[in-house]
Amino acid sequence: MAHPERVEVPAPDYLTERSSNRENAYVTDSSKPRAPFAPWDRRELPGLFSVEETARRVGNYKWAEMRLFEVLGGWVATVPELDVKMVLGRHTYHHAWHSELWHKRLPELREMNPDRLTKPANDAFVTFMDAVREPEAPEHTIEKLVGVYRVLIPRFIAAYTFHKNATSTITDAPTIRSLNFALQDEFEDWRDGEMLIQSLLDTPEKVERASRRQQELEVLCLASGGIAGPGSLGEPVQEVAVA
Amino acid sequence: MKKMLQESELARDSRFVRSKIEDRIFDPRGPKIAQRNTGPAKMATDRPAAAERSRSLMHGIFVGEVQALEGAGRTCFDFDDTEAPFQLKLDMARQCWDEARHCEISLKLGDHMGTEIGEYTESTFLFAAACNPDPVLRLCGVNRALEGLAIDVFSTMKEFGNESGDPVLEFCEDWMLADEVTHVKMGSDWLRRLTEKDPERRERALEFQRTVDSIFNLGGFRGEDEENPIQLARRFRELAGFTDEENDSLAALARQSMEEARQMAEAASVALDAQSA
Repeated sequence: MAHPERVEVPAPDYLTERSSNRENAYVTDSSKPRAPFAPWDRRELPGLFSVEETARRVGNYKWAEMRLFEVLGGWVATVPELDVKMVLGRHTYHHAWHSELWHKRLPELREMNPDRLTKPANDAFVTFMDAVREPEAPEHTIEKLVGVYRVLIPRFIAAYTFHKNATSTITDAPTIRSLNFALQDEFEDWRDGEMLIQSLLDTPEKVERASRRQQELEVLCLASGGIAGPGSLGEPVQEVAVA
Repeated sequence: MKKMLQESELARDSRFVRSKIEDRIFDPRGPKIAQRNTGPAKMATDRPAAAERSRSLMHGIFVGEVQALEGAGRTCFDFDDTEAPFQLKLDMARQCWDEARHCEISLKLGDHMGTEIGEYTESTFLFAAACNPDPVLRLCGVNRALEGLAIDVFSTMKEFGNESGDPVLEFCEDWMLADEVTHVKMGSDWLRRLTEKDPERRERALEFQRTVDSIFNLGGFRGEDEENPIQLARRFRELAGFTDEENDSLAALARQSMEEARQMAEAASVALDAQSA
């Protein structure tokens, strides 16, 4: 392409001879072959999940995010602490948005009826979520927050991180993009929630209450295998055996 | 956690003081105050009580935002997927975030204007509109009536900020006003979508909205005359999707509410005179 008329200005002294050469500065060699993947692009094709398995997991994520945003919204009116009230309001939207991301991803994974796969991993996970959502009384803020921020959200972080690291970085790039957005929120929400909990635990009795609540829920979550059921974090024993 | 929370169950810390709307309306001091000629009630910077009234209104905005946040949150929770579509719940979740932000803004503005939480009482009649068991009626009560009132309040406060030379107040009210217009649009949109094939349900919802609007007029609190502290913001209401006909009807309702309140005050004043004679 011809260049428009230019006013010639002397090159500054500090430039090298090559950089000062105005003819070269405007020309790239269009016939020179380049590698299709830049040297710093280390993405690979293989991934652990098929399209079907990815859709199943995404459906589980959507179900869990929905149940979470509903209860966060419901709790807003039941917590007397003003700072907690406002944080729950903000986080309600974060998790609603995650469920929307997964809702939109499902048809792209050949699931044309997203509601069909919007379901819990198993009955044990429903029992766990029911227990997380159970507290209602205004004096149970600690129980509400511990369930979400010390048990459930760490499970989201774990399941999303495993999925992100295990799936094909090329074929499943759209899921990875959504996982990254969701993970950023999960980390920040976890930090917000953990700081609220720490600020509420001002006596040994309350520390005991929080620990007891966490333990009860951990046991229930263990029975379910996690947000995507057994294999939410992969199957370390099997992977060692194969290796 | 149970579905459908009553307004009496709203959780508050010890600073909040709750009052009933009927206590305010039937406050025996009301008729005596009404006998005093204090000039037009419209928010104006040249009124001696302007600063105090704006602080009181800001506190009212704050508690209103808290209740709006709670109402939107309950709509996320109270209905299952068959009663309220997924997309409606997503909109309500978005509204939760917006209202949480409005609480933060109102708290900061309260500090800026010199009020503290609990300095004025809280009426929970705004949340009462969010207790309807039918999601369409609830949306009409909250997103069209309550958020419509918020448009009027924020527009009035923005104007007050402008006239009193307070750029912080004007700036913040303008941002909140933008969100409220979005919330009213959401309400109108869902009313249309959910009642597309059910005109009878739509009429019930609009009737509920008229009832809530009538309560929100608070006997002359809102209207288009000099006597109304909160002015009907027709331009922003049009942006939000209210038709001229709806705005005219609301203005007429506001005049009617004011006349009823005047008659009640007159009767109370006569009764008070008779009592003291």
